[in-house]
This record gives sequence, structure tokens and C-alpha cells, in this order.
Amino acid sequence: MFAHGHTRSALLALSAFTYVLACTAAADETNGSSGLPAYRSNVSEVRVTFFATDENNHPLPTLTKADFAVVDNERVVRVFRSFTHSDETSLDVVVLLDLSESVAPRLRATIIDVLQLVARERSIPDDNVAVLSFGGTGGGMSGGTSGGLQPAVLCSSGCRSSDSASKLLGVKGGGTTPLFDALIFGADFIAQHRRAGVRPVLILFSDDYDTISLHSAPEALQAVLDEGALIYSVDMGKSGNQSSNQGSGSMFLRRVSDATGGRYFSFSVGSSRQDDDAAVLNAVLEDLHASYVVTYDLPSHEAGFHSLRLLPTHNLNLTFHSRNGYYYEPNGR
Amino acid sequence: MKSTLLLALVWTSISMAFAAPLGIYQHGTVVRMRMGDCMLMHRGFMNQFGPPQAAAVEESCSEYTLVADKVVYLIVGKSSNQLVPLAEVIDFRLQNKELAVRIDDARKESKFAIKEMTLRSEWERIQKHIDDRLNESSHQPVDTSIMALRSRE
Repeated sequence: MFAHGHTRSALLALSAFTYVLACTAAADETNGSSGLPAYRSNVSEVRVTFFATDENNHPLPTLTKADFAVVDNERVVRVFRSFTHSDETSLDVVVLLDLSESVAPRLRATIIDVLQLVARERSIPDDNVAVLSFGGTGGGMSGGTSGGLQPAVLCSSGCRSSDSASKLLGVKGGGTTPLFDALIFGADFIAQHRRAGVRPVLILFSDDYDTISLHSAPEALQAVLDEGALIYSVDMGKSGNQSSNQGSGSMFLRRVSDATGGRYFSFSVGSSRQDDDAAVLNAVLEDLHASYVVTYDLPSHEAGFHSLRLLPTHNLNLTFHSRNGYYYEPNGR
Repeated sequence: MKSTLLLALVWTSISMAFAAPLGIYQHGTVVRMRMGDCMLMHRGFMNQFGPPQAAAVEESCSEYTLVADKVVYLIVGKSSNQLVPLAEVIDFRLQNKELAVRIDDARKESKFAIKEMTLRSEWERIQKHIDDRLNESSHQPVDTSIMALRSRE
């Protein structure tokens, strides 16, 4: 008699974009005593969604599996089980807006950016767009922030309505900056509104400074990774002040964007706001349409975090964007 | 006759001079890659005994395990953005204690510092040992009674 145990190895960071699915079909060891042979096989697969950009930071519409290799926990993987276009075609866009004192001079312009961003792309249904905020004084908001310490939902559907627009224009900047807490709030929001086949994207407008969060930067990053959301960050500290380029301020925005497979934007002083918000949303949509999914055998069964990086095989001008790793838990341990 | 010989000699010399960089490439495969520190590149006196330099400390350089026919090289880039194309087979040559990798089938080369060199047979023996250890730990029997208890909980 054979009894087949089926064990799924699950990722802690279970997401729609990158995961390890480990299926173990094992013959019961106890049958060995009955004289029957026991067979055991392990099939573990890693699935990575990614897109590539060229030297001009434009997404590549066509790509072959010979163009890249995966570095999974330092091991170079060139043999893939499958390589296909991503079949995810719709987006859930969550805009996370910093209202704190440090961005107050640019707040009005940024809110207009956000309104244009929300109104611009009609291919994204109104229900799939939400605007959240953090910092600020709480004036004029529903579910207002008490002194700006708690992130708030400005609108979760119907963000294109005139009511939502006037609500957004009514927010007041100031106060402290709970950036990391806000990211965790955003990740929770995404988790609560998750829909199958829809890719969550978080567009973060911030100057990158956190002054009062209860949570740490790694916790915030992990929360977003767990939800499989891409982060496109727009550095509010850069547009009006080029000197902040040299500060450590942009480090977290860059890191969180790279780690999730999204992108980081800092717009030059001369560019118009319309160009800026168009660039962000165009980038999100272009990246989605140029996304691929690659699967391969798990190269090592080391438990824990597996770092992940995609690198070119020939053209070193190509950059591959994917999340920066996943968790592997063998046999549900 | 003399002039023909002379011409042949000159032609051969010119050919050799141009072919030297292209003709002596060895072939290898990168099997591992990691980001390590760049300290190998910054071992000058001032870097060792001078004031600390934040940029040098923070920068990380890519480190590759390149498996060739007889030798396995551990090579390190000189800056954070220096990469080796991860093609199945890459061309490289040794030059002045460095390893020059041919980039994208062109004449362009990228030079890496050699951190370690190991005989391939020795390296394979060590890798087998590591893999065996990893396989042993990943195939430890799972106590199904505990799993059942957990599922009931």
C-alpha cells in the first residue's frame, strides 16, 4: 500500500509575484517494513515576476530567456522551467501621500500631482484606486489623523469624484513623519483589498524622512514584500531642492523601490508637474505590460530568506527589476 | 625570395600582435555571484592607516566564482557597478595578476581582481561535501505526530 503525503512548502512572504511552491510526494516510510519499496520525490519551484529596462530606463517589450540569468542565494540559474509574459493585466493603485511638515512647501503641488495621477489613466477602474495619507494635521479629512500620527484613508473608491478631489485639496500639511508606520498601514490596506489577478502597486510620495514611527524600516519593507506590492516612490525632497540629492534621505525610497521590484523617481527642477505624474503612471503601466514570469527549480533547500537578483547574460546595459528575495520553509517547518 | 620571406615575417608579426589579445582566451562559467566588500581594491597605505572613508566602507563589489577547465577563480570587481555577463560560457584571460573578462563578444574587456584560485578537482570535492551536508539537513525526517498535533491545534 502506498500513502502519498503531499506537503506544500510555503513562503512567509506569500505574494502573487514571487513564491516558492514546494510539493513533496513521498511514499510512507513505514511501508518499508512491509517489504514494499518506498519512493520519495521533491518538486520545488521558484516563480519570479520581473521586467527589464534598457540604458535609457525604458522597459523592454521583447526579451528572451537567454538574455538573463537568476542569482538565487548566490547560485547562478540559467535553466528555467518556463518563461512567459505575465498574465496580470490590471492594477490596484494605492497612493500613499506624505503630509508632514518637512514636505509642506511642496504639498499643494504634490496634491495636484496626485489628483492628476488619479484622474489621468482611465484604464484603471475607479474602484482600483485609493489615496492614503500620513503626517499632516488632520484637518479636512474623514477618519482624520489625530495630530497626524495615524495614517488615514483619504479615499478608497470614487477617488475621481469631485468630493474626493475637494477633500484632497483640503488636507493640511505639518506635523511629524511616520513613514514606516504608513507603509505598514498601506500594506495592511492592500491585504484587505486584495483581488485575484490584480497586481497591487503602491505609489509613495515622500521626502523619505521618518521622524516618529513605532516600526522600523526593515519591518516596513517586510510588510510590503509580504503583500507582493510594487513600490514606485516619488521623492518629494528632490523636486524643489537639488542639494538634497546628496543626503541620506533618498536611501530608503530607493531601497524599498528596488527591493519590491518597482522604481524610484526624482524629478528635475525644470520638469513640469504634468510630465512628472504622467511619467510615474506611464512607467507603472509600461512595466506591467512588459512583465515576464520565469520559473525554475529551487537551487538549494536552505531554509529562510533566499536573496534574488536577475542579471544580464550579454547586454550589461539591461537592468532587471524584481523583488529582492523570498522565504523558503522546507516541509512547513 | 628574400622579400617574400620578409613580407611573410612582417605579416606574421602583425597578425600575432593583433591576435594576441583575442587568441589566448580561456573559457569558463560563472556559477556563483555575491556582493562582498571592496576592501580588496582599497588596500593602499592611506586606506589602511588613513582616516576612514565612508564611501569605501559602504560600497559593495560583486564577487564571482568562475569555473574554468582546470582552475576555479574567485574574482572581485573594482567597483559596485562592474559586472560579468552571466552567459553560459565567458571568455577571459589572465593579465598582470588580474583576470580580464571579454564583454559581449567584443574586444572590450573588464578587469577583475583575483581573490582566490583553487584547483577545480579540489573545489568540486569541497562543493560535493557542502551539498551533501545541505541535503542531509534538508532531508531530516519530519515528526508527523507533531505536525498532526499542530494541525489539530
